[in-house]
Amino acid sequence: MTLLGESVGGGLPPQQVGAQGAQREVSAPGGLGRYAVRRILTGFGTLLFVIVFNFVLFRLLPGDPIGMMTRGKDVDQQQLAELRRQFNAPLPEQFWSYIRNPFSSNLVSLQSGESVWSVIGDSFWPTMLLLGVSTIASASIGIWLGIHSAWGRGGKFDQITTGSTLTLYSMPEFWLGMLLLIFMSTGVGPFPGFFPSGGISSPGDDLGMVAGWLDLAWHLFLPALTLTLVYLAEYSLVMRSSLIDEMEQDYLKTARAKGLRDKLVRRRHAVPNALLPTITLVFLNVGFVVSGAITVETVFSWPGLGYLTYTAIQGPDNQLLQALFLLFAFAVIVANVIADLIVATVDPRVRA
Amino acid sequence: MRLSTHLNRNRRPLAIAAALTVGAAALVPMTAATASTSPSPPPAASGAPSDKTFTVGISQDVDSLNPFKGIVAEAYEMWGLMYDQLIGYSQTDFTPVPGLAESWVESADKTTWTYTIRSGVKWSDGVPLTARDVEYTFNRIINGTKEQTNYGSYVANITKVVATDDTTVVMTVGTPSPIMESLAVPILPQHIWEKVSEKDALKWPNDPSVEGGGVGSGPFVLTERKKNQYLQFEANPNYWAGAPKVAGVDFRIFLNQDSLAQALKKGEIDMATGLDPGVFKSLQDVDGITAASGVYTGWNYLVFNGGGALEDGTPIGDGNPVLKDKAFRIALSHAVDTATLVDRVLNDYGSPGTTVIPPIYPTLHLEPPQVRAFDLTLAGQLLDTAGYPLGPDGIRLDKQGKPIKLRLIARSESQSSQQSVKFMEGWFEEIGIDIETEVVGEDPLYEIAGQATFDMYEWGWVTEPDPDYQLSTFTCDKRSYVEDGTTYANLSDTFFCDEEYDALYKAQSIETDRAKRAEIVKQMQQILYDEAVYVVTFYYDNLEAYRSDRFTNVQPQPLPDGSMIFQYGTYTYRNVTPVSDVAVNPGDGTGGSTSSDDGPNWPLIGGIALAVAALGLAAWAIVRSRRDTASEDIE
Repeated sequence: MTLLGESVGGGLPPQQVGAQGAQREVSAPGGLGRYAVRRILTGFGTLLFVIVFNFVLFRLLPGDPIGMMTRGKDVDQQQLAELRRQFNAPLPEQFWSYIRNPFSSNLVSLQSGESVWSVIGDSFWPTMLLLGVSTIASASIGIWLGIHSAWGRGGKFDQITTGSTLTLYSMPEFWLGMLLLIFMSTGVGPFPGFFPSGGISSPGDDLGMVAGWLDLAWHLFLPALTLTLVYLAEYSLVMRSSLIDEMEQDYLKTARAKGLRDKLVRRRHAVPNALLPTITLVFLNVGFVVSGAITVETVFSWPGLGYLTYTAIQGPDNQLLQALFLLFAFAVIVANVIADLIVATVDPRVRA
Repeated sequence: MRLSTHLNRNRRPLAIAAALTVGAAALVPMTAATASTSPSPPPAASGAPSDKTFTVGISQDVDSLNPFKGIVAEAYEMWGLMYDQLIGYSQTDFTPVPGLAESWVESADKTTWTYTIRSGVKWSDGVPLTARDVEYTFNRIINGTKEQTNYGSYVANITKVVATDDTTVVMTVGTPSPIMESLAVPILPQHIWEKVSEKDALKWPNDPSVEGGGVGSGPFVLTERKKNQYLQFEANPNYWAGAPKVAGVDFRIFLNQDSLAQALKKGEIDMATGLDPGVFKSLQDVDGITAASGVYTGWNYLVFNGGGALEDGTPIGDGNPVLKDKAFRIALSHAVDTATLVDRVLNDYGSPGTTVIPPIYPTLHLEPPQVRAFDLTLAGQLLDTAGYPLGPDGIRLDKQGKPIKLRLIARSESQSSQQSVKFMEGWFEEIGIDIETEVVGEDPLYEIAGQATFDMYEWGWVTEPDPDYQLSTFTCDKRSYVEDGTTYANLSDTFFCDEEYDALYKAQSIETDRAKRAEIVKQMQQILYDEAVYVVTFYYDNLEAYRSDRFTNVQPQPLPDGSMIFQYGTYTYRNVTPVSDVAVNPGDGTGGSTSSDDGPNWPLIGGIALAVAALGLAAWAIVRSRRDTASEDIE
C-alpha cells in the first residue's frame, strides 16, 4: 500500500501535468489528436489482419474433431453427417458468416453446445480479477523495488533485490505455483497449510456478502502471489535501469543545488521521468492479462480464461479456441494502442 | 455408450501428464519427499466440508448434466448418482442385477421382454415413479432425434415399449437381443421432461438453476453446480436399495494431478481416481491415505494397417503392403515384449495384453491357449520363411526386393504411448525392419487412421461390459466411408474384413443365452488373435487413492481389486461410511470429531486478522512518509 502511494499515487500526477504543460508549447497544436487517430487506425488494420489470419489458421488445423469426439460412441453416420454439416459448412460460407460478425453469438462451442461468447463470458471475470490484482501488486512492488535499488545502486538492497527478483523471474510459473501450493496449502513441517488448494470459492453454503468476499480473497491469494512474484523482476529491472539513466541528468544536480532533500529529488524529479518505460510495460502486460496465465490457472484450478483454453485444447473444441485466440489478440492490440496513446500524452517526442 | 466416455477419460490424465511432463518429472521426487517428511496434516483444515460428506477430486468438469447432451465420463458418473437404470451391473463380475426392474423375463419366442418395475419408488420431488416413466423415457429416445445420440444403440432393435400397468413394461424387439439385459439408459421423470420440448432437448441444463432440473430417483440428489468448480449432491434417504451412509457427495475439479494429490494429502478431498503413476507413488506412504491400483477396462494396442479400404472394399491409403501378409504381422507380434512394456511403461500397474476383451470380464475374456512369446530370433526366422530376407545393409527386403521401411506413430498426448513406441522401434529394428517414428496428436491421428495413411500406430480402447461395441470395430461395415467427397474414419482401424468373423458377430448379437454368447465372443477373439490384427500391449490399472482415516467401506468393482469409483454402478458412493460413524469410542462422549464444521473458522478469522494488520501497517507507513515529506517542505 505504501508502495502504491509513494510511487504512483503520490509522485506521478503533479509531474505529469507539469510536463504536459511544458510540452504543449513545443509540439504543434492538434499533434496528439492526429497521432491518436493514426494509431487507432493502425490498430484497426492489425485487428482486421488478425481476424482473417485467425480464420485461416483454424482451417489449416488437421484432424476431424467431430469424429474424434464421437469415437467410441455408437453414433450412426446420418447423425455424424448432420453434426458435420452444422460445424463444417463450405469454406466461403463459413468465412462470410465469420467475417460479418466474428463476435456473433451464433458460434457454438463444440463441447458444451452454448454460444462461445457466453462460455467465455463466464470465465472472463475470474481472469480479470486474478491478473488485475497480480498486475497491480507486481507493478507497484516492482517499481518500488526498482526505485530503491537504483537509488542505492550496487548496495546490499540492490544486490538482494535484483538477485531474488531475477531468480523468481526465471522460475516457470506452474513450478513456483506448485511449490507455493505445497508449502502454503498442504503445509510442510513448520509451514501450516493455510490456503485452499484450488478453486475460486468454497463449495456449499452461501456465505453472504462479507464472508463471500473474504472467501474469494482467501482463494485468490496463492495464484495471485505466484504471478506477482514471477513478474516482479520485469517491473523492478526496467524501473531500475531507467532511473539510473535519469540519475546522471543535470536537472537532478539543479534540484539538489536548490537544496531539496535527496528523497524529494528522487520522488519529484527523477522517478516521474523514469516511469515512462514502466508505463508502457504495464499496459503491454494488461493486454496479456486477458490471455491469462494458463499454467497458473491450471495449477490452482482457477476457473478463468486460461483454464478454459486448457480444456478447449483438450477437447479439442476448435470453435471455442478460435474465439479465445481472437479475444487474446484483440486484447493485446487494444492495450498496445492505449499504451501508445498514454505514452504520447506524457512524452511529446513519441508523437512525431 | 459408456465406452466413449471412458475413452475420453483414458486420454485425459495422460494428456495432462504430457502437458506437464517437465513439471511432473521435477515434482515427483519433491512430492515424495514432502510425503515422508510431514506427518499427515490435520484433515480439519478449513475448506474441508463436513466429515460426513464424501468429497471426490475429478480432473475434468461435466460438460452437461443433461443426459441427452453430456459426453464425458464425469457426466455419466453424475447420472449414475442421479438416476436409475432398469438393470444394473453386479459388483462381482458385471453380470446383470436388478435395478429399477426387480425382475425381467424374455418371452419364449424371444420377441418381447417384460420388466417388473419396483413399486413405492419416488422421484426426488416426491412424485411416485411408475412404469409410465420407463415407457416415456424409452419412447422419447425411440421417437426422438437428438435423444438418440447417447442412447440410440440401445433402442435400435426395440420396436415398441408399453407400460401395461404401473409396475410392468413390455418391450418388443425386432430380433432376439442380449442388449435388453444391459440397457444403460437413465430412467427420467415424465412429469419433468414432457415439458422439455424436443427442440430444447439438448439445451435444457437439467440442474437446480431451472425448475425441476436434476429431479431423479438415484441414491443422491443434485443440490448445486458451479461450472468449472464443483458439484454437490445430497443423500437420498429413501433410496430403494437403502440410504447412503454419507450425508452427501461433493465433486471438485482439479485440472492438475499434482494439485489434486496435494488436496488429498491436505484432506480437502477424500478420493481421487485415474492418477498418474508418479502422483500415485507420492501418495502411497502417506499416513491416512490408502492408495490402490485396481484392474481396469482400458487397454492399449499397436495396430497394423492390414490394407486400408472403404466399407465397400475400395482400397484407400498408402499402407505398406507387407502388412497385409498375416505371416509378417505374426512375426512382428513376436517382437513385442509386452512384459517389459508393463514393467517399464506402466511401472507394473497393469498386465501384459493378448486379446481385445480385457480379463476384467472373466466370463468373456479369452486367454489364447498358445500365447505368442517374445522371441526376436523366432521373429527373424519367421520373416525368413515368409520371404522377407535380410538385405546387404541389415534391412529386410520385401517381395519386390525393396528394403522394408515402416512408419510408426505415437500420440503426443500420451507419455506412455511415446515410451511404448520407443521400445517397439528398438525391437523392430533388431529384426531388420527400418522404422520411422513420428509423434502426432490424437485428433490428426484419428483422421490419418480413417484415411489409412499409416503403417502402424499406438492407441487404446476402453471396453464396456457388453462386448458388442468392441467386437463391432473389426467388422467389414466399420471400415472408413466417403461422404461428400471426403473420406471419414469409422470405428475400424485395422481394416480387417472376414466373412466368418462377421457371421459370428451377427450370431453373438442375437444370442440371449449368456453362456452361449460368451463362447461365440471367445471364438471371435481367437480369430483376431490368430490374424494378429492388433498387438494388445497391455491392460492398464486404474490408480486410485482415498482418505482411509476418514472413510471406510469403499467398494471395488469387480471384487476384489477393481475400480472404487467411476464404476458401472454406485457401489462405493452408496456404501462408503465416515470413520466417525463406525468407530464409536466408548467413554468419549464428544464423538471426537475433528471437523471445523460447527466451530469457529479459525483460519478464516486468522486471515482477517492478518489482513487488518497489513492494512494498518500500510496506513501507518503512508502517514509517516507523508509527514516526512511535509516537514521537508517546510524546511
